[in-house]
Amino acid sequence: MRTQDRIAKISLYTILCAGLLVVVGPFLWMALASFKPEAEIRRVPPTWLPDTWTLENFRQLFTRLDFPQYFANSVLVAVLITAGNLLFCSLLGYALAKLNFPGRRALFLVVLGMLMVPGMVLFVPQFVLVSNLGLANSYAGLVLPFLAGPFGVFLMRQFLSTIPDDLIEAARVDGAGEWRIFFRIVLPLCRPALATLGILTFLSSWNNFLWPLVVATTEDKYTLPVALALYSVGQNRTDFGLLLAGAVVVVLPVLVVFLILQRHFLRGIATTGLK
Amino acid sequence: MNRALRKVAVVGAAVTLVLAGCGRESGGEQEKATSVAEGKASGEVTVWAMGTEGEKLGAFAQDFMKENPDAKVTVTAVPWDAAHQKIASAIAAKQTPDVSMIGSTWQGEFAKTGALDPTPPELFQRDSYFPGAWDTTVVNDTSYGVPWYVETRVIYYRTDIAAKAGITKPPATWAELSAMAKAMQGAGAKWGINLQPGKTGSWQSVMPFAWSNGVEVSDGTKYTFDSPEMVEALRFYQSFFTGKLAPTELAEGALEPGFAKGEIAAFLSGPWMVDLIKKQGGAGFEDKFAVAPMPKQKSATSFIGGSNIAVFKDAKNRDAAWKFLQWLAQPAVQTRWYQTTSDLPAVRSAWQDPALAGDKFLKVFGEQLKDAKAPPTFATWEQVSAAFDTEVEKLAKSGEDPATVARTVQSKAEAIGTGS
Repeated sequence: MRTQDRIAKISLYTILCAGLLVVVGPFLWMALASFKPEAEIRRVPPTWLPDTWTLENFRQLFTRLDFPQYFANSVLVAVLITAGNLLFCSLLGYALAKLNFPGRRALFLVVLGMLMVPGMVLFVPQFVLVSNLGLANSYAGLVLPFLAGPFGVFLMRQFLSTIPDDLIEAARVDGAGEWRIFFRIVLPLCRPALATLGILTFLSSWNNFLWPLVVATTEDKYTLPVALALYSVGQNRTDFGLLLAGAVVVVLPVLVVFLILQRHFLRGIATTGLK
Repeated sequence: MNRALRKVAVVGAAVTLVLAGCGRESGGEQEKATSVAEGKASGEVTVWAMGTEGEKLGAFAQDFMKENPDAKVTVTAVPWDAAHQKIASAIAAKQTPDVSMIGSTWQGEFAKTGALDPTPPELFQRDSYFPGAWDTTVVNDTSYGVPWYVETRVIYYRTDIAAKAGITKPPATWAELSAMAKAMQGAGAKWGINLQPGKTGSWQSVMPFAWSNGVEVSDGTKYTFDSPEMVEALRFYQSFFTGKLAPTELAEGALEPGFAKGEIAAFLSGPWMVDLIKKQGGAGFEDKFAVAPMPKQKSATSFIGGSNIAVFKDAKNRDAAWKFLQWLAQPAVQTRWYQTTSDLPAVRSAWQDPALAGDKFLKVFGEQLKDAKAPPTFATWEQVSAAFDTEVEKLAKSGEDPATVARTVQSKAEAIGTGS
């Protein structure tokens, strides 16, 4: 019995470690490779530990690029978009899940319909719209179109419909207004869903490449991914050293956000998955 | 639930359809250029340029501003990765700058949108450029923009391995190229040569052989891929893969180290490789390899690429924009630009400068540029070339019959059309 247990445990850990290797391996290689000179990065077969350690790639990253500017742009855009999504998606999700008003079903159908429209189809019309509003090359143009999205609304609505109506009724009986119910009762219960939405939105906006590239017409509005592509990817060749060093630095904030929110995030995925 | 789902699908489809309906009319028949006022340039000129060019042009343009004190050039650097998308979106939304660098194979597509300004003939002479380069700017007999810098493809080979194989001079004919690849493989190289076996841009490796065999992929009004000459060229290209002389799979970035180690004895590529190879090989490697022009069949024609630079019709400062382009085209400025970026000059007289004429590698590129061609400037070329790439991959990797490949590319190209 005990040996059987041990065998089960050992095989479980072996599988888990193998999985971990597959997931973490490339990431680790990226981090280590960012300390290698260009020629060593391209060497076949590749090396794990750098033969020659160099900080040249990072030095280039911080001197050739106006790094603080791009970093600040990225943070500003990602934080505003995430905050907007958390607020607006949960508001709309609440209305769709818990409030009775004419056209609620139709509105929900429209939200679902929008989920089915591929983003690339919207790309050019959205850009035309933004530039006709005079928002090309402005932070507003970078942020405004993404403040709420059908996916976020759908996610919040599904989560909110699991909250018992009785709870809201009780609050109403106690004399709380809709706003108070929403911010004091409902929103605190939504933490797992909010964490999920927050992380997903932050990630997608942090990594977004095409929109900032097109909307920002001068370099001072570029975000990190755009700037990184600009300096490392050429017409016929790629500067892998700079690209990898940049990737390492770009990944760090996402890691931090994830570590802060991971407890809620996992719970969020579990609960929304149940529904 | 089923009905609800159906409704959702209908709404989604309707939105998509409405969006797809938005478009912009295309430019019409041949256009006439308007002239540019004389005198010095003034006002602000906004310029988009990609990659290194974008990084360096801002500082480089200081000299222009010194000559034209009232003018100001503002450069925005755009990543190569998605420059096509950015320019296309900007045209759709009428958010174009005054001037933009245009990849030479995009010219047809962007000219077709009607957004580019025809080149004023009094400012630029066709004869001062490499003919293949100038042709990339011409759409429907009108030139839109001018060539800025060029590149072409030549054969790189390891002279030390060739010497071991008893070869002392570069391959002059197709037969000699095959023989050299075979001999160098015999002399210890794992691969005799590397030719791009598919994926984006592989047509740029195939077309030099096709052109050298007398192929024309367009007659001016439609695509003509399916010809006996094309089949012959494809068969020759394929022979390197079926003969196990060239790898059918090579990881990105594996070419330079492979060449430096002597595993790959030769390859076909452009001028940017010279520096990469020197860096990869380390000290003294410079003497172990050489470049050679395309070997001759009916001709010894290569591919000409690079970038053009054009003015948009919506430019706020059109006159100054064209004057800036005229300045960039001066031979002395072209040579200085080469020294700044290693971009090869598109203007022929700039090549007399010793910096270019005296370099043993560059000399070969300069010679090859005299016989180098570009694909037709049809608006659909990017799409057609993508289809071509797919077929090249089948040709190289799964041994597809060259005649079938030529026929398939032709039928795909016909289905796509020329876009006019």
